[in-house]
Formats: sequence, C-alpha cells, structure tokens
Amino acid sequence: MKKIRLMDIASARSGDKNDVCNIGVMAHTPQDYALLKKYLTAELVKRHFNGLIKGEVVRYEWDCIEALNFICHEALDGGGSSSMRMDNLGKNFSSHLLRLEIEVAD
Amino acid sequence: MEEKVVRIAGAQGFYGDSPLAAMHIVQEKAADYLMHDALAELTLSILQKDRQKDPTLGYARDIELLARTLYPAAFSSGIRIVSNSGGLNPPSAAARVAEILRKQGLTGIKIAYITGDDLLSRIPELHKQGIYLNHLDTGEPFSTAANQITHANVYIGARSVKEALDRGADIILAGRVADPCLTLGILAHAFNWPLEGQPSQQDLDKLACGITVGHVIECGGQASGGNSYAEWPMDYPIHNLAYPIAHVREDGSAIFTRLKSQGGKVSRNTIREQLVYEIHDPANYITPDVIVDLTHIELKETGPDEVFFSGAKGKPRPEKLKLAIGLFGGYISEQFFFFSWPYAYEKCLKFIDAVKKIWENLPLQIERADFAIVGVNGIHQGAAPTPSRQWLNEANELGVRVAIRHADERTGRMAMSAITCLGLNGPPGLNSMPGWGKTNRVKLSLWPTLVPREIVEEKVEIIET
Repeated sequence: MKKIRLMDIASARSGDKNDVCNIGVMAHTPQDYALLKKYLTAELVKRHFNGLIKGEVVRYEWDCIEALNFICHEALDGGGSSSMRMDNLGKNFSSHLLRLEIEVAD
Repeated sequence: MEEKVVRIAGAQGFYGDSPLAAMHIVQEKAADYLMHDALAELTLSILQKDRQKDPTLGYARDIELLARTLYPAAFSSGIRIVSNSGGLNPPSAAARVAEILRKQGLTGIKIAYITGDDLLSRIPELHKQGIYLNHLDTGEPFSTAANQITHANVYIGARSVKEALDRGADIILAGRVADPCLTLGILAHAFNWPLEGQPSQQDLDKLACGITVGHVIECGGQASGGNSYAEWPMDYPIHNLAYPIAHVREDGSAIFTRLKSQGGKVSRNTIREQLVYEIHDPANYITPDVIVDLTHIELKETGPDEVFFSGAKGKPRPEKLKLAIGLFGGYISEQFFFFSWPYAYEKCLKFIDAVKKIWENLPLQIERADFAIVGVNGIHQGAAPTPSRQWLNEANELGVRVAIRHADERTGRMAMSAITCLGLNGPPGLNSMPGWGKTNRVKLSLWPTLVPREIVEEKVEIIET
C-alpha cells in the first residue's frame, strides 16, 4: 500500500446551501478518477473533518467530468449568517479535503 | 444562412462584484446580453436591513453605479441586461435606474421589473389555505413569531424574464428569480423555447442545457479562472480577470469563452470546477423550470479559452417551488487579537484563558463562545492538524479569534469592552485590530420550505425613460 495526497491527483471546489456544504472533487486524469471512486468514500470524508460535519455525508459519482460530489449535511454550524465559524460558507472545505491522504494498492 | 448564436456574459457574480470585466465586454461588443446575478442565499437578508431603514431601498445598490457607467454603454451597443438586482424591491430599483438614466439624457429605455416572488405579507393567508410551510429538510412545522421573519421570497423561474424581453425590455430588474433562470429566460426569448405547458423531451433537454449554461456563468469569474484549484498556481493575470461568455445555439449546446484581451482562463478544468459548485445530486439539479440531469454532458476544449458543452437532459419541472424564509435569531460578536514571537502560541493561550475568566465574572448571557488560534485552527477548527510544539514555539505571529452568540445587544457590547483591558494587562505585545471583527452582528437563519407554484402571482411591469 502507498499513500497519495488528494492534492496531487485532484482539485476541488466547495460551497454552501444553508447548513449543507457540497465538495466537488475533480480528478486530474481518468486513472486518478478510478482511484477516487475506489478509495474516497463518504465515511472517509466525514472522518477527515473530525466533527465539523455533524450530519450525513452522501457521495455522488459524476463520471462524465471525472468528479465525485460530496454532500455534507449539518456541516456549517447552522450555515450562512447563523454560523459562528470563520469559514461560515464552507469555501475552505475543499482545501481541507485536498489534504486528505488515501491509502491505495501499489 | 449561418446558425443563430446568442452570446451571454456572466457579468456579475454577487452584490458588489466589480463592473470592470463587464465594461470590457461591452466595449468589445462581445456579448448580446449581460446577465447579472446579484443574489446569494443570504443577500435578501442584507437587503432587508436597508428596506427597514428606508422603504424605497431593498435592492442591490450597486445598480446606482452601474446605471451611471455600464448600462448606458451597453444600451448604446444594443446589449440588453438581465439581473435579479431588484432584490426585495424591484419597483424601487426600476424607478431609481430610470431616474439615473434620465439625468444622463437617455430616453426611450425600457426598464422591466418583475414582482410576485415576495411572499412576506402573504404568510398568514398561506396558513389559512392550509399551506403550513414545513421545513424542507426536517419536516418541522413553521411556527415562528411574525416579528422574527426578515423576508420570505420564493425562487421563481424564467417565465417573466422571457416575457419582459419579448416585450422589448432593455434591462430587467427582477427579484428572486433563481440564478440560472436569468440565463434560461434570455435563451427562451431568443430561441422561443417553451417554458409552459407540456414540453417535449427535446424541449426539456434544451431547457436543461440553458440552465446548465446559466449555472456555469452565474458566478462571474469563478468560471474563467478565478478561485481556481484546478488551474492553481494560476499562471495567468487575475487582477483583470475576464468573465465568462457563453455562445449558445438553438439546440442548447454552447461554447464558453472569455475576452482574450484580459486575464483569466477558460478550460475544461475551470468549467468543470464551476459545474460542481453548489450542486447536490448531479442527476437531479432542481430548478423552477426543469429538473436537470448533468451526468451525461459533454465538455471538451475546442481551442484556447474555448470549451464546448452539450448534452444536459431535462425532466419535467417540479410542482412546488422553494420558498426561503429569513429569520432573526439574535446576535454574533467577534474580535481578533495578534501576538508575535517569542511565545506567540503561549501568549494566545494565556490570553484566551483571561478572556474566559473575565466573562465568567460578568452578568453576561452568552449562549456559546468559540476560541480559535488564527494561523493554527481558525478556519478548520478541530479538523486542523496539530502543529508540533517546536513549530508553535517558533511561529513568528499568531492570532486569537473570539466569537460569541447571544440574544441581547447588551451582552455583545459588555463582553467585547470588558476584554479591551488586556491590551495593557495581558500577555506582552498585544495587537488588536481596529475595525476588525464586529459586535452585535445580526444572526439570521434560513427556513427553506416548498409552496405550490399556483399561488405565486408573477407580474412584469415596464417603465420607459
């Protein structure tokens, strides 16, 4: 097994809808997309955010643009102007996710 | 005869966005329509504060600048403008723009405004009709006292935008038209796409493509190389970023591009990146006019700064529309403080401890207090990795952010003024930042719900300068 940091195989953009944050993760290449699909699970994403996401994380596969879309519920401390966070709109959820390392088969 | 192509520019991504990119597009006559999306989810709550102070306000006030600069230039080139900058008060927005245009001697300009999305005064009536406004996600019944409601606007579709353009409007100032429906309205007008009745599958697919085009350009520079990880390290100028322009054909396919004279980049990556933005299920992107399946689209680069798009699939529009009700929910106060080497981290900890003890000894009604160290865990809180002791001890500067939530303004004022003494009494070298942070920022929350589309009474009015 070897470790790969998401930043090296993908880009990401995140945004808000009320208290829900979505993180779109786009693979650099089709091979990278295969790795994302296999290893980047909703559970792993939720764990990586270590308590910031209170609710469920749902993963959607978006093959035609080699992207995964993660919908994170109860992720923004109430969302918008209810949130006490500095990142109240979740714009930096993408950044944090790109720091995640996945363990893949050699 | 050459096939008709409609050129729409994403001229504005939010209330307060720079008008310079749009100015360049107008000067180069590079679009037939400018689409201005001024309304983010919470913008109406901000506009409500204006309207409370002055009933003739409540629209995006940057239209006053645009009416003096951008709009006249656009009209003289035959470019039409579609916006939702009317916010909570489209009639006032139209009257104000008319006044500014007339002052410049511009006559014969048709200004359309769209009303009907504002349901604030109709909530009791809806209740009587048995429309209970249960929370969209939790199903909870709506039972908030009326004085806590800041606004209630339903996301309406493209119908009135199309009607206004059909009737010859030079500029449209709508309220809560859903972002991508501004673009769909332009395309429905230009190609006479059917928005009502029972569209065929082919027509639904065109509407779906129109929505997709609108979605891509609705955030301005975010589709043309701004805010981009996909193109990081962004090896192109961003100070003069060109905003996206869509060249759309009757079948709904489009080429996304930008002005080559300015900075930025349009690539498959930048378009993909904007496609995923604030989308949930990509097979069911719900809008007032059509439900869009984005999972079979084609996206390919056809030249430098040119990306071809086609293939969105449409499903019949939803029977209900989304209503967002803004609710007042107390206040948030926050402030920032900074310390330098040596011991910056330990100074921060000592400072936080002192703040806590000062607040404990005062009669404050703090509902929640958050403390973070800027430079370590300000943005990602508990999810941030923990730096080593050595890194923390050698950090050249770190900051403290304190934030509290409270129901009364007195608590905000007292809590924040009570800790200013730490400038002299606290750890050495405190830098507080005048003008940073805010005391008693109003906390607003959104209550999303669904209403039957039949109850919405949309209307287009046109005034002429």
